[in-house]
Amino acid sequence: MPYLINKLHLSSPHWPLVSRVFAALFGGYVLATSSSLFVSQILLHAVGKYQAIHIGLMLTFIVYACAAMWVFSVASVSKAWLGLIKLTIFFTVATWFLMQFTGVTS
Amino acid sequence: MKDNFRQSMKWLHTWVGLIVGWMLFFMFLTGTLGYFYQEITRWMEPERPFIVHNISNEKLIDTAQRYLNKHAAGIDEWDIYLPNSRDQNLRVGWRHEPEPGKKRGQYITKVLDITTGEKVESRATGGGRLLYRMHYRLHYLSTDISYWLVGFCSMLMLLAVITGVVIHKKIFSDFFTFRAKKVLPGWLDIHNVLSVIALPFHFMITYSGLLFFLFTYMVLSSNLQTNEDEYSAMRKEIYPRTAHLEKANQAADMLDISTLYQQVKTAWQGDELSYVEMFAANDVNAQVLFVRHETDITYNPADEVMISAVTGEVITQQPKEYTAAGMIHNGFISLHEGQFAGAIARWIYFFTGLIGTAMIASGLILWTTKRKPQQMKKPNGPDFGYRLVEQLNIGTIVGLPIAIALYFYANRLLPLDMVGRAAWEAHVMFISWAILLSYPAFRPAAKAWSEQLQLAALVYLALPLVNALTTDKHLFNSLSKQDWNLAGFDLTLLLVGSCFAFAAYKVKALQVSNNSSKRPSTQSSKQRVKQGKAQLPATSGSLLPVQQAHKEQC
Repeated sequence: MPYLINKLHLSSPHWPLVSRVFAALFGGYVLATSSSLFVSQILLHAVGKYQAIHIGLMLTFIVYACAAMWVFSVASVSKAWLGLIKLTIFFTVATWFLMQFTGVTS
Repeated sequence: MKDNFRQSMKWLHTWVGLIVGWMLFFMFLTGTLGYFYQEITRWMEPERPFIVHNISNEKLIDTAQRYLNKHAAGIDEWDIYLPNSRDQNLRVGWRHEPEPGKKRGQYITKVLDITTGEKVESRATGGGRLLYRMHYRLHYLSTDISYWLVGFCSMLMLLAVITGVVIHKKIFSDFFTFRAKKVLPGWLDIHNVLSVIALPFHFMITYSGLLFFLFTYMVLSSNLQTNEDEYSAMRKEIYPRTAHLEKANQAADMLDISTLYQQVKTAWQGDELSYVEMFAANDVNAQVLFVRHETDITYNPADEVMISAVTGEVITQQPKEYTAAGMIHNGFISLHEGQFAGAIARWIYFFTGLIGTAMIASGLILWTTKRKPQQMKKPNGPDFGYRLVEQLNIGTIVGLPIAIALYFYANRLLPLDMVGRAAWEAHVMFISWAILLSYPAFRPAAKAWSEQLQLAALVYLALPLVNALTTDKHLFNSLSKQDWNLAGFDLTLLLVGSCFAFAAYKVKALQVSNNSSKRPSTQSSKQRVKQGKAQLPATSGSLLPVQQAHKEQC
């Protein structure tokens, strides 16, 4: 096992980059998804359920792109991951709160 | 990640662009050809008759209906496609009843000869449709994998467009200070101009490309928020369809379509009819939808007229209702497809698409030219990665256009009775692309650029000749018959071939001048040249000349 871990070159200078790529690719996707839930809850009453979902979905690509850009702009990888996780949690919790108000379960 | 935001974005732009650059080049080029896919198909089916001018829509409809009555009797849904500026042949199509277990029946289309009223037997070919479908459906891969791969590339393209704007400090002022008179405008200049000149297009085409598969890519979000019924209801709201009556299973005699057309004609004031759609033929509920060429990017209810085929009454349609978001969504998709575009707008689409393609190509070349001086100093020659990029650049930027030309050659030269003929046309394209991709590995870069450019010029210039030798649909005939679609295809081939010939000539000329101007200057640094293999004349000056040439191409 230690051999395998050594094989992974965890101290290699490439790991932060790999981690950042994963953060942008997967972290960004999850963040974009959570943002779409949030947007559709906000717009629910203004434009109706389907259109609210639709708008949320259409914005995901922009959110995804901005998230990826942000991940590659911050100084450290841990800051990138933490930022993504915090924002995702914020969107999810805010969505949950809004759902309590609107009484709509989806 | 880097010292400041702009530097980080520059880094991101560079690498995001590089890893999917060749895929994007493929998608942009085949997608651009897609703006003329009907015209390409027409060229690839040379058995179709020449254009026949000035035939009234009534006569065309009668011819089509006579054929359909004979060969598609008992079919409920059929369509008549009238000749238009894109496809100058009369076509009919019908849908068979679905086979058990299938959702939709097979759809058959036939091209009709207007003078005889009979169908035209064409060679088996994938046509322009197969070529343009590659830009989102790829080839050889499963649909799912293709969509996700294309989505990944599109997302990185979107990222590249946005970061590109961010890193470009003086986006507008730079545009007006393009140093065209400079002896060798840098690749950065060219890349900038190609990007800025069509920036709205680049953004639109990328974002709308993602919107096409919105529910595929964002499946997690839509699954979290909707169940199956809600999902299909949502889709119906986003993509509303024209409603029509269902079959009542009660036979009735229908009026002639050309008679019904008279009412439509007065409403439209002119002969703009594009196609006719029949629902529930020979039933009391038979309805005919007349559709004219799209007059609006989003939706104009007046483009469609529904008439009862039994009573001849115009059925007032409830206009399709779009939500605001649906309008934006469909607007983007319509802009992407350019279905509304007339002849001039279509050419503008085509050239803008080529600008996008050239932008990607120039970005890829820029990656190598930036690293070249450093790479050439390395004692053991350039790195593997550098050489690989250079090789893929040559094999894709010049290799893919050659492979596409060979797709057309295959169409003309493969035996007509060959088994799997249509599939082999595509095989020829991909096999030749594979060869052209690997060829630069065995040649110095400068030589490979030059040789492939010469080959490209040759294949494009010779294609109209091969066309003339194998069919009667050659330039001489198409011009004298004023068949502009056919003639346009051959003329475009000649133009593209000339551009490649010019590029090849420029590359050669600049290589010669580079090599001769090198001699006096190398005397002072003779020792260094002797020591390092890197300064081989063949690899030096490999890319700079091409930049000049490439500019001309675009």
